[in-house]
Amino acid sequence: MTVLDPVRVEILGNALRSLTDETFVSLMKSAYSTNIKERKDHSTAILDRGCRLVAQTMASPVHIASMTGLARTLLEKHGGPDGTFPELRPGDIFVANDPHVAGGTHLPDITMVAPVFHEDRVVAFVCNIAHHADIGGMAPGSMSGGMTEIYQEGLRVPMVRLFEAGALRQDILDILLLNARVPQEREGDYYAQIAAIGLGVRRLGEIIAKFGIETVEAGAADIIKRTGERFRGAIADLPDGVYTFEDVLDDDGCGTEDIRIALRAEIAGDRIRFDFSGTDPQMTGNLNVTLNATMASACFALQALIDPDCPNNQGLLDAVEIITEPGTVVDAIAPAAVAARAHTCQRIIDVVFGALAPAAPEASIGACNGANSTLVFSGTDPRTGEPYVYLETLGGGLGGRATKDGKDGVQVNMTNTSNLPVEAIEIEYPLLVETYGLVEDSGGAGRWRGGMGIRRTVRPLGHTTLFNGVGERFRHEPWGVFGGKPGAPGRFVLREDGGQEAVLAPKPPTQPLRSDQTVTVETPGAGGYGAPSERNETSRLEDAASGKFSDPYMTRHYSR
Amino acid sequence: MTWTVGIDTGGTFTDVFAANTATGEIRHAKRPSTPDDPSRAILLAVEALEVEQGVALSELRHLAHGTTVGTNALIQRRGGRVAVVTTKGFRDLLEIGRQTRPRIFDLQTDVPAPLAARDVRFEVDERVLADGSVHRPLSPGELDGLADAIQASGAEVCAVCFLFSFLNPEHEIAVRDGLAARLPEVRFSVSSEVQPEFREFERLNTTVVNAYLQPVMERYIDRLADGLMRMAPNARVGVNQSSGGLMGTDLARAYPVRTALSGPAAGVVGAVHVARQVARPDVMTIDVGGTSADVAMIRDYAPSLTREREVAAFPIRLPMIDIDTIGAGGGSIAWFDRDGLLKVGPSSAGAVPGPACYGLGGTEPTVTDANLVLGRLGTSLVDGGLSMDQNRAEEALGIVASRLGWSVERSALSILDIVVSNMVRALRTLSVEKGYDPADFVLMPFGGAGPLHAREIAVELGMTEIVVPAAPGIVCAHGLLVAETREDFVRSRRVPADPSSMSVIAADVAELDQRIDDWMAGLGGVSGTMRRELTVDARYVGQNFELQVGLSRAAHGEPLEVPALDAFLDLFFKAHERAYGYANRSAPVEIVNTRLTGLVDGLSIAPEALKTQSAPPEPRAYRDVWFNQDGPMETAIHRRDDLGAGTVLTGPAIVEQLDTTIIIHPGDVATLDAAGNFIIRITP
Repeated sequence: MTVLDPVRVEILGNALRSLTDETFVSLMKSAYSTNIKERKDHSTAILDRGCRLVAQTMASPVHIASMTGLARTLLEKHGGPDGTFPELRPGDIFVANDPHVAGGTHLPDITMVAPVFHEDRVVAFVCNIAHHADIGGMAPGSMSGGMTEIYQEGLRVPMVRLFEAGALRQDILDILLLNARVPQEREGDYYAQIAAIGLGVRRLGEIIAKFGIETVEAGAADIIKRTGERFRGAIADLPDGVYTFEDVLDDDGCGTEDIRIALRAEIAGDRIRFDFSGTDPQMTGNLNVTLNATMASACFALQALIDPDCPNNQGLLDAVEIITEPGTVVDAIAPAAVAARAHTCQRIIDVVFGALAPAAPEASIGACNGANSTLVFSGTDPRTGEPYVYLETLGGGLGGRATKDGKDGVQVNMTNTSNLPVEAIEIEYPLLVETYGLVEDSGGAGRWRGGMGIRRTVRPLGHTTLFNGVGERFRHEPWGVFGGKPGAPGRFVLREDGGQEAVLAPKPPTQPLRSDQTVTVETPGAGGYGAPSERNETSRLEDAASGKFSDPYMTRHYSR
Repeated sequence: MTWTVGIDTGGTFTDVFAANTATGEIRHAKRPSTPDDPSRAILLAVEALEVEQGVALSELRHLAHGTTVGTNALIQRRGGRVAVVTTKGFRDLLEIGRQTRPRIFDLQTDVPAPLAARDVRFEVDERVLADGSVHRPLSPGELDGLADAIQASGAEVCAVCFLFSFLNPEHEIAVRDGLAARLPEVRFSVSSEVQPEFREFERLNTTVVNAYLQPVMERYIDRLADGLMRMAPNARVGVNQSSGGLMGTDLARAYPVRTALSGPAAGVVGAVHVARQVARPDVMTIDVGGTSADVAMIRDYAPSLTREREVAAFPIRLPMIDIDTIGAGGGSIAWFDRDGLLKVGPSSAGAVPGPACYGLGGTEPTVTDANLVLGRLGTSLVDGGLSMDQNRAEEALGIVASRLGWSVERSALSILDIVVSNMVRALRTLSVEKGYDPADFVLMPFGGAGPLHAREIAVELGMTEIVVPAAPGIVCAHGLLVAETREDFVRSRRVPADPSSMSVIAADVAELDQRIDDWMAGLGGVSGTMRRELTVDARYVGQNFELQVGLSRAAHGEPLEVPALDAFLDLFFKAHERAYGYANRSAPVEIVNTRLTGLVDGLSIAPEALKTQSAPPEPRAYRDVWFNQDGPMETAIHRRDDLGAGTVLTGPAIVEQLDTTIIIHPGDVATLDAAGNFIIRITP
């Protein structure tokens, strides 16, 4: 057993992080689609031969779930005795996306993984994941509401070899491309992922040549061990106890309402257990979450609360114990639909924040907008006669914090992707964005108030478009903590130019929208922190002067 | 006889270099910097050129400088009071931005608060559509009330940004003119002038930052220009832009946001100059100071540019030299993280208290302390100033050594290994971003601490050669002596790449050429050769990323060639292949912007040749230096002043000079060229 000093480990760790950085940039540079190039919706990682996460560069923590999930599948399917992989060959690359049989979290996220060999044995894996703009299924973009089975959501790819001993399996690629709506773009993105895998395998070979295989393997194990000790140390700083919380999703768009997520968090010394028993059964609609995405969400929330700078590797993931009941919303089984799992992941994080607020009051925040409020417009562009689909997710309020107000109009929790510029939208699509601003009075009152939601109004130009949307926290408002008031829920509003208006369902199904109509989304705000009576005068004056809060609101919450 | 002057305003000193345009002779003067008003130190140092160095100030023709006035005002929030006028419905755009957070796991850190609060952001009922047509006309009646509101807000500057103003600026201009007539005291920044390109948030934010800096920059330029007018009435002042070219003071007053990276960009311009001297077209630079290291890439004697980056956490969209900054410098502190691993930086001991060895109260171990105990740095600097205390350095490093259970020297070597690995990671990522292999480049270290670490960095990246400039600390000032004057003109218009689009570009070129003529006429007194370069920003239809494709260049007055469609597409595909590793030759392409850049050559100054050295140089001293864990080696210590052109040193050797220390590792061979640059060949 090689014993390593903390300097050697740090330098090795730096080389491994450099590898994931470089492959991340390489994937972004050579991808074809906007979603990867501009929004950077992809991640890269290195796993050891036990398929444990060693280092990553990530856009979203939920990507970690898919990459480690795929690795586990690989281990189960191809792992031989004594940690060997007798069936794997140098130059093999596996591809997968399925949440139920290949460790994925929803179908548009395509994962690739390849073994790295040293002297005829597998010593590590490099992998990456990218969110593809479409993977087939009943709706363009493979993300729309209304889907009730995974079969409707797109092409299911179990773990299969895309490259076998260095040779492309064209038949597999042909299947992947035939089932996607824009095959040329998909092909470009697949090749970007393949190239990033190739770069990673090459670089890891260089690192092994430089440091020696013993150092790399022992160093990777040491990194994981040290992170585990560090993270467990942070857990131990929390007071022991049992903390419970629950929250309710509005609905699944398919008739199921008030879907409960329950959590019992138990802290004992340096151990933490998140028990989601009591959570509702999986739903008909597509907001279900597979177990590994629930783990990623819970780990994200805990890390954000107790050690945001902690390296994200297996040591951290293993420090947390998760208990779920299979067949529930947080541990969905086949053939549950999962495309819109992001809304539920966001809510799982809010639930962890809510449960642990008494244990970590300084780090806690009021409930965030807890959603990925989504608008989808599709139709035929009258300027060109070409079909179009435009999908956007909007942020909202971030919860009030221990020492300051929540941020207004921002992506929260596990989501942090940029929006599309309004000028880009109007150039690309026959749509007019009439307003893009903050929703007055939407932040929950408190010593530190919650952040405000976003209002956007859209009108089709010169044609009738088809609109659908997904909203969460549109009926159940984002709660406050320690006496903070809830933020405002969101809503969709349809307006006629004559002045008539109608509030739509939280998950409005596809409906026509004429050029003399507009649809407005107001995303949820966020909950406050601490009692409104404790809000200082400067902040109150600013609330009023900025026009962010109306006089009646100020009177209602702050007059004594 | 005429002189040209480059000025480098550093944190501690303001250095002024005058170059004789005929002989290449260089004169140097310095004064302590005056951070509260940097123009004061500049004027004093220029005065010293005459008093101490005998340079007749009436013979100064050209004076160029990089300035950190804008950057510092942004960092310290000392800009003007700004009101913002936007399209109705978009008052909150400045605050929402792109909806992202700086760090996904960090619940407490936000993007900086907007430079204009919500109560000084106003809306105007107007709307231009994506084709440039007017959807809602401007109602002039609105302006009275708006002017009153701006007046009441106490704003000194007003930023105006409407949607699609890059296509149709009429509403912006009308509002600006209408308000200016009513508010004679208020200055204006208009988005279609500051940055006429699509993406409304970046354009708005760049315009607001510009407005914010206007009052500060005006005051600074006025003081500087007034003083110089009296002292050196024949000198024209140039200000370095973030893109690496000079602009006149009028433009600097109107567009201060263009100086956001003025200082670091000057360093890269200087590096280009050195690259030409040593005939090495492909260079990666690393400028290591006390708290941070700036890395940049030069390809074929041209710095890599970026279209957008953050300055003080504000996204700015303008052409800028692509410089990455990491927290790794001489003052970077070594510490143990919660997982027990040794880290170096990003926090730094800075100048005060500084590294422990400065004896100014610092107790934490830094990179400089490590270099001192390893003998890589001497205990006193060349001019005798700032002596360094070896005992204090050892004491500070003892913290690390006792935790590791190692000797102080081994611990010091470890600290250097870690800071080098941080620098290597930054250079590697930059090179992958640009699509190049660092092994094909030469490393050029500068700044006080650059040459101390260059060898380890170069070896890690597979490089075989290091070029250390004659005066690594003054590369910036030197670069400014020879910098070209530059202005970018842009027409933003999205057209599909088909045969007819080439004639649209030709029409844009004619319009931009007219503006270049006006600009060049306004320069006056500039004697260099003038030329123009035509580039377009193009992309595949559906992509959101544009590539800059150089189309043609021509001298001023000569026609610019607009290529035929096929030739243009070929250039685009090649650029795409270079940047992204592939090109689809059958996919449709579109053009987003047409750019014309006006360039006036800087002065070409023949370097003052060093005297030739015939005999092998005599070291000033010998001392024990640790190059690795095997133990110290007796190492010759030279003074740069003693060495003439043609000197060849074989390591181990150290060369000390006023502003840096150069390490030549055992077996490596360093040759001093006629211009005073060291070229070090690495022996693996």
